[in-house]
Amino acid sequence: MLAFGRSNTPTIAYVIEPRFSGGTSAAVAAELPVAAECGQVVVHAITSRTFGTNQHVSPVLRQVLDDLNIPIIWDAPRISADFVFLHNPSFLKFQDTLGTRIIARELYVITHENFLRPGGAEGFDVSSCLSQIEASTISLRKTLAPISPFNRSGVVDWLATSRVARQWDVLGSDWFNICETEVSAPCETPQDRRGRHSRPGFEKFPVIADLDSCFPSHSQCNVILGADALLNARVLRAHWTLLPFNAITVQEFFGMIDFFVYFTAPTWQESFGRVVAEAVAAGKVVLTNPDTGATFGNAVLTCQPSQVDTIIADLIAQPQKYHDQVARSQSALQNYSAGKFKAMLSGVLSADSGVNK
Amino acid sequence: MIYVEVGTRSLRSFDTQLIFAEQLAARGFNVCIDADYLPEDAGRGRIYEAAKFLVDPGENKAQTVFVLGAEEIDDFLLASLRNKQLAPSVPVVATGRFMTQQSYIAAKARLAYALGREAQVIDLTDFQPRPVLPSTSSPLVADVRPVLRRSKRVVPNVTLVLGSMELDNPETLSCFSRMSSQSGYNLKLIVSGAQNEAIKASPFHDLPTYLYTGLSPLTLAISTDILAMFGNGIAGVRMAAFAVELIATGGVAIDCTDDEVLMSSGAPALLGPKTPFALDGYLIGNVIGNVPQIVEQASKSQWLHTVDISRLETAAGLTAKQRQSEQDKRKTLFFPTNGVGLGHAQRCSIIAREMPDTMTKMFAAFPSCVPLVRREGIDCIPLVQRADTKTNSDGNDVLTYRRLGAVLQENDTLVFDGGYVFDSVYRVIRERKLSAAWIRRGLWPEGRSRQTMLRRESVFDRVIVPSEAFDELNDAYSYGDHVHYVGPIVRQVEQSAAEKEQLRARLAERFGRDFKQLVVSMLGGGVASDRSAQLQAISGMLEARDDCLHLVVTWPGSTVQPATFGWKNTRVVQTLEATKLSLAADVVISAAGYNSVLEMLYHRIPAIFIPQSAPYLDDQERRAAAMADRDLCAAITEREFMTLERTVADWLDHDGAEFYRSALNGFELPKTGAVKAAELLTELGARI
Repeated sequence: MLAFGRSNTPTIAYVIEPRFSGGTSAAVAAELPVAAECGQVVVHAITSRTFGTNQHVSPVLRQVLDDLNIPIIWDAPRISADFVFLHNPSFLKFQDTLGTRIIARELYVITHENFLRPGGAEGFDVSSCLSQIEASTISLRKTLAPISPFNRSGVVDWLATSRVARQWDVLGSDWFNICETEVSAPCETPQDRRGRHSRPGFEKFPVIADLDSCFPSHSQCNVILGADALLNARVLRAHWTLLPFNAITVQEFFGMIDFFVYFTAPTWQESFGRVVAEAVAAGKVVLTNPDTGATFGNAVLTCQPSQVDTIIADLIAQPQKYHDQVARSQSALQNYSAGKFKAMLSGVLSADSGVNK
Repeated sequence: MIYVEVGTRSLRSFDTQLIFAEQLAARGFNVCIDADYLPEDAGRGRIYEAAKFLVDPGENKAQTVFVLGAEEIDDFLLASLRNKQLAPSVPVVATGRFMTQQSYIAAKARLAYALGREAQVIDLTDFQPRPVLPSTSSPLVADVRPVLRRSKRVVPNVTLVLGSMELDNPETLSCFSRMSSQSGYNLKLIVSGAQNEAIKASPFHDLPTYLYTGLSPLTLAISTDILAMFGNGIAGVRMAAFAVELIATGGVAIDCTDDEVLMSSGAPALLGPKTPFALDGYLIGNVIGNVPQIVEQASKSQWLHTVDISRLETAAGLTAKQRQSEQDKRKTLFFPTNGVGLGHAQRCSIIAREMPDTMTKMFAAFPSCVPLVRREGIDCIPLVQRADTKTNSDGNDVLTYRRLGAVLQENDTLVFDGGYVFDSVYRVIRERKLSAAWIRRGLWPEGRSRQTMLRRESVFDRVIVPSEAFDELNDAYSYGDHVHYVGPIVRQVEQSAAEKEQLRARLAERFGRDFKQLVVSMLGGGVASDRSAQLQAISGMLEARDDCLHLVVTWPGSTVQPATFGWKNTRVVQTLEATKLSLAADVVISAAGYNSVLEMLYHRIPAIFIPQSAPYLDDQERRAAAMADRDLCAAITEREFMTLERTVADWLDHDGAEFYRSALNGFELPKTGAVKAAELLTELGARI
């Protein structure tokens, strides 16, 4: 199979589980065009037990692959390339062997899913997943590539207690998600219109008391998109507008709010937080917990749920402050542009392998 | 309150919850299960078991939460945990059999997402590497303790779990029947629904069978000394829990399964024959005579540590409460079914009165009976009458079960007076290890299934049969040393001639009219048989008699047809003193119930009997006919209106009752049986 991209450039093999429906597929879809500019790209799909036996491809990924005319190769017995980028090793968590032999100069494993949860408990069976990759790979170097500061801390802390640490390097810079959605201006006069959206999993929601703090009865509106679990469990409030996941478009949702208030279960942490970046791009002020905020620097306001009311009241009273915050946020998004990613990727591709020639 | 939750909801996992909840409750903890967990197809047995644990979500504050079956967790559990908004100090302990490290991590993570903090997750495979039933969400633990068995049993109770055994060989049931008939042990079979149907359709339909959900595993373990399990593998979590509980409490388990499932788990069981045909010889030859030695050896098994429930309690920071060794004073509780009228309650109160004052007596009775009992100075727990609904017609019996269970303790005595033995009665006797007596009147109507009626007789230590006054009415329905026949039990009152006149005077005053003739009609409350037409006929014929007062007498609380109130000579009286009114009457027209007939007979009151004929009543026609054959009463069927009118007129105008009064006065009455019945119950109550 010929690689797609420029000749006389390195060959790059993406190894992905294309059936991830969330951030992983979106992140891969966003970086593939950039990668194709830097090398000859092939995309290998792995059929893992996590998603069963079908060969469905995430729509966002399918769109990009079609645009780039890159075919997907399913379950190749052998993958050879100068660089192999294996995205989100957690797809191997329900099996004990990776049925593919990987031969590469450099293997990068992009660690989309946090190795450790807040508090230090393992997020998935990391050891098993990395062992499968290690056992199937022949490469000069194997590197773990964290995607955010929190994600990095989990990787580093996990390696510190793991006997396989010596097998893996950790990439110095973050393999961040490219966030290049269209940027909208903030509203003229912010009102106390709050909302959040996410997938409906329990990990995405804080405890009910915190949810009550974030979305109180005195706010003008509280829109919760992706509230399937709340609806099913009959956790209802008269002042909440609860909408199932995908009930409205994200654009419609952002049209209903001025403040994006996003807290998750304290025992779970977004590894990157694309949803936060989307809210910033939509011209909303984002309030979230410090660990999520750390990914975006000063692009978001970090606080505890109990502080949300005070911050929002302050910004409504001072619209200029609101506008300044949105402007600051949106400019920070530049850090997650395709250009910045290309620079990071170029660094990876040109890095010295460390092997004497 | 300890909540018992489960990873995924199903009938099987609900069993898991019930078993564990009952085990914790037996250890002295307050345990509950969210009512949301009750499956729609729970079935009768599980509903009784669950009744004492089910609470509405949020009704009780959780102090500890156990999550069973955490190897598979659904959103219902997560929502349940999240909605509880547990304080950080509330321990959450989850158990599961995790086949991979990933499944352990995933369970831990999912619980943490819902709770907002980490739960304590215990991997059962760590200490139960070979569980009795690998696929179950149940932790399969037990309160490991020696139990004094057979304290009241002469021979051991042997329980056979048939499992997947096929019953197509006719010799199999024949073999069980032979085993059931021998005297070396009491046999019972635990069977599936299909096996039960096959047995009931066979010539061996009287084999003592119980369904898997008939009793809880704990109750089965209490009432079993030797368990033999057949089939391939173990027949579900209930039977697995039964086996574990039995072994942990010093019972003998015999592994007769094809795959030797108990033995291969490491449980201290005996390896028995794989065919039931050899079991009797094995039991008699090898087991029954050696039980103490077998139990002693089993008690040394390390396997017992793997099923010790205290491991989970310790994880949750729970300390088992001290068992209540001896209650202050044993009590005897009478539970009369009201049936129609208050006959059962009245009979019980007569017997209770004859028991020594030193014994603690109390009643549990339906509302109509409560005043009758309390006027005797006896405490009474009110029960709830059966509701005439299609959806949950037995719901009241679940409540009865709860109330009986709340008041009765081990070694108390329950005296049940009624026909059909309710589930509540049966279960409470078994679960609380009660002494029990069944006051069972005879004269069952034609067509009533004797098998159905007697199915639960074995749960009673004694059956007391109050006799009819005439020998031909005393049918025998079961036999054995436990069946005791006593004389007729009848309430007797005394009324002098002066008192009779005073009562008539009070009636005249009460109803504001003088009368010379008093007619009393006691045809029942209309529940069993509609007697409104007969009452109307009597009222109508007496309307023209200005010197006649007609009293329609019913139990307090009975329904009276509105038309009864439309006659100037007819009045309705609701009273517990019907006998006194009858003694003061010139003519008595009555249904032919046990109490009515005996009261007329023992007070030598001439009466016109109109038998009732509902299928759940005793055979009143036979009773009335026996009286009439001896010229002790006039018996008239419900359709003989002309005869009724003629007889009443004859008795009023020509003293037609005199003929019967003479016969009654000359009749030799059998000795009454209340004292004997009281003696039997007193003796039973004193026994441990």
